[in-house]
Formats: sequence, structure tokens, C-alpha cells
Amino acid sequence: MGTDRYAYQSRLRRVSPMPKLLLTAVTLVVCLCCDSVAVGLFTLVGMGVLVTALGGLSPRVYLHFLKIPLVFLAVGCITIVAGSYPAGTEMVAALPVGDRLWGFTAGGLWLGGRIFCKALGTIGCMYFLALNTPVTDLTMALEKLHVPRLLVELMELIYRFIFVLSETAANIRTAQDSRLGYQGFRRSVSSLGMLASMVFLRAWRKADRIYTALESRGYTGSLATLTDAYRPGWGLLPLTALAAAGQMAVWFVEGRLLP
Amino acid sequence: MNAIQAEELCYTYEDGTVALDHVSFAAQKGKITGILGANGAGKSTLFLSLNGVITPKSGRVLLGGEPVRYDKKGLTELRRRVGIVFQDPDDQLFSADVYRDVSFGGVNLGLPPEEVRRRVEEALERTGVSHLRDKPTHALSYGQKKRAAIAGVLVMEPEVLILDEPTAGLDPQGVSDIMRLLLQLRDELGMTVLIATHDMDIVPLYCDYACLLGGGKVLTQGTPEELFAHPEALRANHLRLPRIAHLMEVLRDVDGLDADRSVATIGAARREILRMLKEEEP
Repeated sequence: MGTDRYAYQSRLRRVSPMPKLLLTAVTLVVCLCCDSVAVGLFTLVGMGVLVTALGGLSPRVYLHFLKIPLVFLAVGCITIVAGSYPAGTEMVAALPVGDRLWGFTAGGLWLGGRIFCKALGTIGCMYFLALNTPVTDLTMALEKLHVPRLLVELMELIYRFIFVLSETAANIRTAQDSRLGYQGFRRSVSSLGMLASMVFLRAWRKADRIYTALESRGYTGSLATLTDAYRPGWGLLPLTALAAAGQMAVWFVEGRLLP
Repeated sequence: MNAIQAEELCYTYEDGTVALDHVSFAAQKGKITGILGANGAGKSTLFLSLNGVITPKSGRVLLGGEPVRYDKKGLTELRRRVGIVFQDPDDQLFSADVYRDVSFGGVNLGLPPEEVRRRVEEALERTGVSHLRDKPTHALSYGQKKRAAIAGVLVMEPEVLILDEPTAGLDPQGVSDIMRLLLQLRDELGMTVLIATHDMDIVPLYCDYACLLGGGKVLTQGTPEELFAHPEALRANHLRLPRIAHLMEVLRDVDGLDADRSVATIGAARREILRMLKEEEP
């Protein structure tokens, strides 16, 4: 949700979501298929350059957004890399526990490194999409790609009402807090339970009122709307080719340098 | 001429609450009519039945003199010609994109895309939210959401525009902006406007006619001045006189001055007080 705020300020916001989706999809697939450290890092940096140069995002914000998945990635990769091996295996670093060795092997480290960098690259691709395309444009694009209407409409409604519900929840929480509802563990738990049931009830009633409002505007079962005019964004197509070519080149060079 | 008219409307909710009890009233074409009533007086139910969301148990709704039919075609027609703006804009704005939300009603009318776009532009311009088109709905202020909600109804180019509590929750500037917008719609487009309100001070300023609703019945209707001449009926229904009209009532009843009962706006009060001062002088 944090990314959405920046998507609305992006210089690419008015560009049709299709070429943006294409650029993301192509670079993402190439990055996944190459399965290499260099391509992963290249994709990450390349997407960073695109987001900052084309979208006008400050590099600091981009780096900030990378911090969050970085933590998850690091934890995930450590669990892949570290393992227990039979005594006598060649290890980079290990601790003997009983008759087995716990630690890292060179092969394991390489594998972890590759997964880590590959994942970073794909995160870069997704950020290019997320930081330049508001969710509503994305759902519009999905509709054009023949994703079932029902699914797309649900996504749109859910996205819109996440904000309404979280506002409701925040208001209830403030009201409870102002009457000392969150002092002590027991009271906090019971207050939180009440909050959850209240939010559910209100959502229920709200759904009724929204339906009425939609009906009064001629709703007959589909949320068909028009978007504001897009810029076609043809310029992104050669850029997509260029990015993919760059990824392939890096992959090729890496293959040559590393036996 | 009556733009929209209700005849003997009755409606009872499933739980037995009688919301409308033989309601008959008419809104004149190209005028602003205020529907006054306390909470639970039946204003919202009346509005929903005027737009066909609720089908009255008995009685009928006449639109431009013709009774409304409740088949699919009749309802589509009714909803095109009668638009409702709900009290809470968060109930109405279903899309996170202002432009798309405003376009919804136009698309539902089956208009060609160019025509929808033209209408969306016009509605955004008229309601003064054109500059907000690049913002997500959840980033708008309450007043801005309200305007966007009005734009979403204007796009259908209704003949009758119904607003449920249009001024609730707005700051004084927001109230006068919204009400001035309604005056513009009346004067420039000849739109018939119905507003439900218990903000009594806006009634003499912006309403051409008013109708007092209580307990699901129409109690009185007429010009605002006629209604204010009978403050008892308003007070019995948890309403009050506008502040200025109250002042005039006090001047008349407590201080024994010859103040006109129907005076309810600052301008009229000024003239009335100056007149009384002049009469005292000699």
C-alpha cells in the first residue's frame, strides 16, 4: 500500500498499464530463467535506474522499499544455505554437533547466492510495476487480458474498501484507547475482539448501502467504467527489448567468465 | 409544473417499521425543495422510493406526470432521470480512481465512450474536482469525496437530483460551496433538486419550497416562510426555526415588536430591523 502513494505521483502514471506490465513480465521471466547472480543484480540495478529516471522516484525511496523484502529474503536464504552434513564433507564453515557437521558448503553458498540475487532481481521488476502503476490501472489491464470479470471487480472493490475499513478500525481503536481499552493484556485482548466484530458488522452494513448506491446509478451486475485517457507508452517497448537484451548479455558474459 | 410527484406512498420495512404512511408530495420543476424531518422521519426511504431502489407497497410515483413502471426498462429510465447522492460519500464511491467512479453511471446508460468522457469532464469541471483526477479516492478529503459523489450522479444528466443530507459533516465553507453548486444546477441546467436536511439555517437561503416530514407522513409543505410561520410543527418534530427566524420570534413575542414572522435570512432581517427603527423614530 505504501507503493501506491508513489505510483500516483509517478511520471509514468498516465502511461497505459499494458507496456508497463509487458516490461515487468519480460524482465521478470528472463531474470528467473537465467538463474544467475549477475543477471539478478543487473536486473535490480536496471529497474532501479528505470524507476528513478523514468518514474521520477527518488533513489532513497527505492532503497527504502528494498529493505523490507531484503529481511525476508535473507532469513529465507540462510535456512536454505545452512544445513547438516555427514562428517568428512568439505565445508566452508561448520560446527560439529554429535557425529554430524552443521554449517555451509561451497555449493550451498552458491545456491543460496543465486536464489538471493534472482529473487532481488524479480523484486526490482515488481517494484517497477508497483511504483509506476496505480492498482486501478492494473485491474483495468487485467480485465483487458481476459482475467475473469468477477475476479477483477472483486479486486477493485476490495482495494477500495481496504482503506475505508482500516479507517473504521483505526477510529474504533482510538475510541477504545481513549477509554483505556488497551491497558493490560486481558483488556487489550477483549477490546481487540470487540473491534474485530464491530469492523465485521460495519462492513456488513456498508456492503448493503454500497449495493443500494450502485443500484441507484444503474448497476446491473457489472462494474463497467472508463479510465481517463492513457498515453500509449510506445517508448517502453524498445526499452523492454533493450532491458531483456542487457540481461541476456550479462548472462552470456557471466557464463564465459565463470567456468 | 411538477417534475416528480409521490401519491399516497406507503412502505413498511420487514421488521414492521412504518417508514412511509400515505406520503403525497410534489417537487416543482427547476426548484430546490427541502425535505425537513428528524432522524428516522422517513426521508431516506422516500428518496429511495423516488429512485426505484425501493418499490412502494402502495401508492405511486409520477415522473413528469407519467406513473413510474417497475419493470427493468422503467427502472432504468427512472434511474437515468432521477439521481441520488447519498449522505456518506464512502458508500457511493466504489472505485479507488475518481475518474472511473464518475464514469460508472454514464457507462451504465450504454452511452458511447466519447459521450461518457465528455460528460465526465463536464461533471468534474462543474463540481470543481477536475484537479483531483490524479488522486486516489482514499486521499480525498470528506468534502472532496462529496463533490466527486455528486459528479458521479451528474454524469447521468438527471432531471431530478436528490441529495441526502448534503451538508452533514462539512465545514461552513464546504456547506456554502455545495449549496452554491446546487443553485448553479438549478439556474443553469434547470435541474429539479431535492435535499433532505435538518440544517435549518440553509433552508431559507437555498430552498424554494420545503416539506415537513414526520413519522412517515407529510405534515406541512409550502415555501420556507410559510413553514416558519408555524414553529410549533417544526419543534414537535425535533427541528427548530432558523436562528434569524427565532430572533424575530423573540423580538415579536417577548419584546412586543412588530417583527415579521416570515423573516429568516440575514438580509431580510436587516431590512426588517431597519424598517422597525424607522417607524420608531418620529
